[in-house]
Amino acid sequence: MALYEGIALIQEKQAVVLDLGTDYTKFGFTGEAAPRCIVRSEFWCPATRRYRRLHDYRSAAELYDNLVHMLHQLYFRHVLVNPKERKVVVVESLLTPTLFRETLAKVLFIHYEVSGVVWADSPRLCALTLGAPAVLVVSIGAKDVEVAAVVHSCVVLHALQSQPLGARAVHAELARLLDEHNGGPLHLDDQVIEDIKVKTCFVTSRARAAQWSSGRPPQPAALPGLRARLAAELRHLVTQPPYCDTLHVREFKFHDAPAAPNACAWLGGAVLGAGEAGAGRVLARDQYAREPRLRDWVCLLDNTPPAHPHRAYLDI
Amino acid sequence: MAYLTQPDYVKYICSCGQLKPITSLYFCRHCLKIRCGFCICHEVDSHYCANCLENMPSSEARLKKNRCSSCFDCPSCFHTLSTRATMAQPRQVVQDPAAGGDTKVESKQPKKMYYLSCFNCRWTSRDVGIPDQPVASGGWPERTNPHAARVNQLLEYYKAIALQEKQEKIERERKKFNIRGKYITLTDKTGLTGAMARNIAGLPSSESSSSAIASFVPSQAKEEVEELPEDIFTKEVNLNQITSMPQRLASPEWQPSSVSRLHPLAKLLSVKRSQRCRACDHNLTKPEYNPGSIKFKIELLAYYHVPEVKIISHEPVKPGGKSALLLKLTNPTGHEMQLRLLQPEDIPPPEEKEEPKSIEKSLERSLNLEKDTSSLKPMEVVCPPAATSRVRAPDATLTLAQRDDAAEYDDDAQHDTNDIIMWRKSNKLALRLEVETAEGAAGGAAAAALVALQYSYRNTVPPAAAAAQPRDHTLYTTVLLDLGTVSSN
Repeated sequence: MALYEGIALIQEKQAVVLDLGTDYTKFGFTGEAAPRCIVRSEFWCPATRRYRRLHDYRSAAELYDNLVHMLHQLYFRHVLVNPKERKVVVVESLLTPTLFRETLAKVLFIHYEVSGVVWADSPRLCALTLGAPAVLVVSIGAKDVEVAAVVHSCVVLHALQSQPLGARAVHAELARLLDEHNGGPLHLDDQVIEDIKVKTCFVTSRARAAQWSSGRPPQPAALPGLRARLAAELRHLVTQPPYCDTLHVREFKFHDAPAAPNACAWLGGAVLGAGEAGAGRVLARDQYAREPRLRDWVCLLDNTPPAHPHRAYLDI
Repeated sequence: MAYLTQPDYVKYICSCGQLKPITSLYFCRHCLKIRCGFCICHEVDSHYCANCLENMPSSEARLKKNRCSSCFDCPSCFHTLSTRATMAQPRQVVQDPAAGGDTKVESKQPKKMYYLSCFNCRWTSRDVGIPDQPVASGGWPERTNPHAARVNQLLEYYKAIALQEKQEKIERERKKFNIRGKYITLTDKTGLTGAMARNIAGLPSSESSSSAIASFVPSQAKEEVEELPEDIFTKEVNLNQITSMPQRLASPEWQPSSVSRLHPLAKLLSVKRSQRCRACDHNLTKPEYNPGSIKFKIELLAYYHVPEVKIISHEPVKPGGKSALLLKLTNPTGHEMQLRLLQPEDIPPPEEKEEPKSIEKSLERSLNLEKDTSSLKPMEVVCPPAATSRVRAPDATLTLAQRDDAAEYDDDAQHDTNDIIMWRKSNKLALRLEVETAEGAAGGAAAAALVALQYSYRNTVPPAAAAAQPRDHTLYTTVLLDLGTVSSN
């Protein structure tokens, strides 16, 4: 055991991978095949005596508080390690608000004193779990569905698509149908609706959906039959104008990621953080101390090409 | 008890600006400042199982993925599973008499077999086909992640790529500075080849890394997708057979969708935490190692060092009016305490400490300047909380006796009362104060008053080697009193 301890001392501490979703948070260690915990993104607030959702905030200070509480719970209840002097891989959407990213960076670097953070976007991480050179990542989250093409680990940002048709859309529709059937508002708990959704909902086949013929919204979320329906819809749509004239793709193939669908991006983070590849892309604490800003694809400081005439004026 | 069951009527302002009741505050005896859970550093101290109260060294906990090896949770309702014993008749060898064999009845003793059962929801390990175990604890089949092999391939592949990336970088650097210096490198002198150097450095040889890249098969996309089963439209839904979301997420590796795939969950360990002051790195609390003990080795709670303020009662607060306020002050320390009530704005700003002028210190400071961690200061709440009322602080210094546990038993209150002091009893003191409310206070709004306390504190930390530190200090703290709501008339 003594030898083992010695190795542990020399080795760098195993980094953690953090994926703060709207509904569920995935948290675990790099190099592992599955997150240690998938928990609801909420924490017990003793002042108001109820659970508080991480993403319910009105100001940066409130978000800072929320993140401190959430991370405390994750580190000391679920993963049981010291946050200090440990690297973090943050899995984030490309459309994460800047306020959220910057506040998270502040919480991690200042409050929890982590040694470094790797910021990684979920489409690229999903592609990383496949190893395939060119993939189209359709990620169906709680709020939004994001479609991003990843070619050789580069996201085609101009082709990024997002629609608010995530699990919440199913949720709202289910609540509406139940209320309608009841003849009045039921005020069902979120958990109850989630339970109904997870136990009974599925995505019906295209043929049956055509018979319904009402303009109901498409049904997202990782429900049984979703892939089959998606494939059927795509194969149907390419035969219809305008796609049949402009899009010369007739084949649609689907990948199977080596992870549960809700932890796919997380697994990408775990794979990225395990090797030296992650170490090279880390934003170290002292670097953040010198210049507390994050690289972002929307920021002109980061996305001006080197040959661009404006580049000369930028102090980079 | 009042602190557990009732709302926090009296809140202290922590040195970081947070408002907290005295029971959730710490007091650093080295910085002489109040600290709270927000501005201290939490650390994992020891791992233990909350069910069997067994300690686990942290290295072992890491190996076992923070799970207890002998306790299990119910996968259905998350209650702790119990081990049940049954007498099992060992299976007798049935021989066919027609085959001419003599039927031997094996006279084996019935064997004790164990299975796991939940006393809350009646789930048992037999429900999902886990065979009974011959030993009471441990030996339960462990499942491996179905994707483990593929994930390991991925890890190896990306490790190899990272290595290649690194080597290419080194290669490029070398090309950049290709001028051989006058120094003989190690490889020249000893005739070490690159492969050997890599071997010495513990890096895998270049062949193996390239083989990992070559042998990697990217995920193959498939045209066919899993169709929705046809009978889904006709089969009756049995909700008891489908797992709920919490049941699925309790085992993130498998996430079973059917109840028949639920497996016992090894109990997650808990940790004892120790707390450390961020400013001086001293421990504020340190728990005892024994998981069964709830005591602390170090316990610097504000409750033991800072005068406690409680509201006995108060008159309703009216806009522009005066109302009486009865406060109880308690001295929790073992020394006599001099106490004064002040207005919050009368607290003198913390004086800058004169740094001892030594070379080492100035060197240290210049080094710190170089690092420049000023932007890494924790977030502090600077604006004081809004108060609708002011407490008319009496211009008198009150003396509170030290805490004396024996004094609990004599119940005759001392009667040196005056117009401010209502009564006095050992280390406690009741004050009659007046609260002035602002004219513009809106009716129905929450009424609150800020009052500052100046108190003397005797530091009992053994002084550092021969340093003549002052033992008596004058400290300040600010308290926010919750006075209900402003009455509207």
